[in-house]
Amino acid sequence: MKSHTRPDERLRAYFLLVLPAVTIYFAVIAFPTIFSITLSLTDYSGGIVFGDRADWSFVGFKHYFRMFRDQYFWIAFKNNIWIMLMSLFIQIPLGFTLAYTIFRKLIVGREFFQTIIYMPTIISCIVVAVLWQTFFSPYGPITDFMRLFNPLWENNLANDPNLAILPVLFVMVWYYTGMYLIIFLANLQKIDSQILEAAQIDGANERQMLFNIILPALSGVVVVTAILAISGSLKSFDLIFAMTSGNPARRTSVLALYMYDNAFKGSPDYPLANAISTFMVAVSFALILVTKKLENRFGGKE
Amino acid sequence: MKRFVLVLMVLAMVAPLFAVGEKEVSGKVTLRVLHYADATTPGYSVEKKIWDDFRAANPDIELVYEELFNEPFHQKVEAYAAAGKLPDVMYMWPSGRSSTLYNKKLIKDLSPLLASTKGKYLPTTVVPQMGSIIGELPLTITNSHMVYLNTKLLAQLGLSEPKTYADLVAMVPVAKAAGIEVVLMAAKDDWVMQSCLFSMISGRVAGDKFIDDVLAGKAKFTDKPFVDALTVVANMVKDGVMPKNVLQISYGEGPALFAAGKCLMYIDGDWRAGAFITDPTTGKALISPTDQKNVKLTVFPAIPGEKISGSSSTIVGTGFGMNANIKSGSKEEAAAWKLISYMTSPAVAKQRLETGAFGRASWIGVTSDKLEPIQQANAAFSAAAGSYVLDGVLDAKVYTPINIGLQEIVLGIKTPAQVAADTQKAFEDWKANK
Repeated sequence: MKSHTRPDERLRAYFLLVLPAVTIYFAVIAFPTIFSITLSLTDYSGGIVFGDRADWSFVGFKHYFRMFRDQYFWIAFKNNIWIMLMSLFIQIPLGFTLAYTIFRKLIVGREFFQTIIYMPTIISCIVVAVLWQTFFSPYGPITDFMRLFNPLWENNLANDPNLAILPVLFVMVWYYTGMYLIIFLANLQKIDSQILEAAQIDGANERQMLFNIILPALSGVVVVTAILAISGSLKSFDLIFAMTSGNPARRTSVLALYMYDNAFKGSPDYPLANAISTFMVAVSFALILVTKKLENRFGGKE
Repeated sequence: MKRFVLVLMVLAMVAPLFAVGEKEVSGKVTLRVLHYADATTPGYSVEKKIWDDFRAANPDIELVYEELFNEPFHQKVEAYAAAGKLPDVMYMWPSGRSSTLYNKKLIKDLSPLLASTKGKYLPTTVVPQMGSIIGELPLTITNSHMVYLNTKLLAQLGLSEPKTYADLVAMVPVAKAAGIEVVLMAAKDDWVMQSCLFSMISGRVAGDKFIDDVLAGKAKFTDKPFVDALTVVANMVKDGVMPKNVLQISYGEGPALFAAGKCLMYIDGDWRAGAFITDPTTGKALISPTDQKNVKLTVFPAIPGEKISGSSSTIVGTGFGMNANIKSGSKEEAAAWKLISYMTSPAVAKQRLETGAFGRASWIGVTSDKLEPIQQANAAFSAAAGSYVLDGVLDAKVYTPINIGLQEIVLGIKTPAQVAADTQKAFEDWKANK
């Protein structure tokens, strides 16, 4: 159909329609990101940012070097890596396995299990943190339970600096696996049942159907869940903040908490906090790019 | 019809503007207030009443009230300070935890306003704070170290009150056999061990003069006195006096564990006495008034090598301060001062004394016949001497490595010498960037 509008009118209409979205994007995402990166390169310590009375100057990558020299940064980063690996290799496979079990009707009471596994995700994060904190307390139920078998049992779970993160990882699996279950289940239900029935008639067994039909069809979903897992792992904060505050001795801290401690605890160190957040964004981008490349290389077509 | 709806909508949008105008015309002063309060303490309902009474007595002052507790409070203050949106009146510390407010000169010096109250406050409470100003009007004077001793449990186990550290060590096998600990503290938050235990140890072993010398560049944290002080904490864990799992006990959990008889001694600040008394709303107490007589408030026993004995770590108490942006002589300043002085007034101080919020009011002569035994003990408590609370004299950049380092010592992943070296490095970095 021939357009009756002139090119300049179309251009004006285009800008008019795009402007609100661009304005919102710039205000909410682009500006804070650029501002954060800028602050990380300055010695800003609060107060006026713009105008003649602004009191800051550029100091280069000083705060990035400080960050890399700080042992607590590496402890926090290592914990983020643990959380990411746990998300990628425990939460996603577990979520998929549970979804597959329900979808293929390999158990009875499917709706019951689906509800039970998904339920933690709708509980407030703070409630979950306090609940499990009480559970893991040296004077909590887990200690009482273990002492039924061994009266001398000592709850030193969080006292080993190398293992202190384990209870946090366990709670994360408990809390977030239901989300992956729902994502996979929703996408499994989109697979044409006739394809599966045809494969069964042709003599395909469960393993062949899983690896040759279902997984290739879900490769895009796997990538999406992986991206969710990576970005979610890097911004982990609320659950850990409420459960351990990063202690004992910052051994359960993560980058977001490390950033928060520097920004808001004691003497605020905004440039360092912004350097940490910039690092988090960069790592997140890099990992998501790697995931996309892997999907392009090895993923199947939906 | 469309026009009618349009007019209605415009009126609905414009009406609030007229409402604001009317409020300003009436001369009502609006104050933004940030208070520090724990809604789970027994005295919370009284705390609310204190504020309601002020509102009722001062209809010309409107309070936009916000309250928080523990770390979220401090984080919000930092955020407000950074954004330039500090409240008009805020709960404050005389130094450390409120250092941003002092360093950036965001609060008003109350000294000129205090001139009219001469002789009404304890002289030890109205002294210059950080930055040589009176930034907040203290409600009390605080002992950040206090030992809550369960004398009944002690007697049941055939033990007597420990006088020395060696006595404490001797109690360990008896306590372990009974399935309890000698010392517990709620040290999951890292400030607790520094503020409620180590500041007292540092005061006794290293001394305040040593800290002054470090700040003046005449001594170092790596010197023997400070390392020796850190070693006392390491020894407490090594000797079994204090278990490692104090680092897993949240601040809210501590009093309940002591009340449940899980330890002989519980270490906290004097403000924690309020956690044990009867909640006026429920009529229940963590420790009943009868059983409170079995709790002795004291200080840590004598430590080997200490220079002063029987001391606690003390600091001028918290109170309310005023935003520096409030103009002198303005009606906002008058309203803010009215609120600040009301909070330390005898009537309010008496109520706070009764809730156990503190043991001794800054206003001279405030007392009450309604105090429960543990409160009476708190009011009568007096340490032989007082020393610095470290987060009150050191910058956060310097005391944070001490806070974390104490936890690392308890976990056994750093030695006292390593923590001292970390602290010295943090101090030098802070000094260089100051």
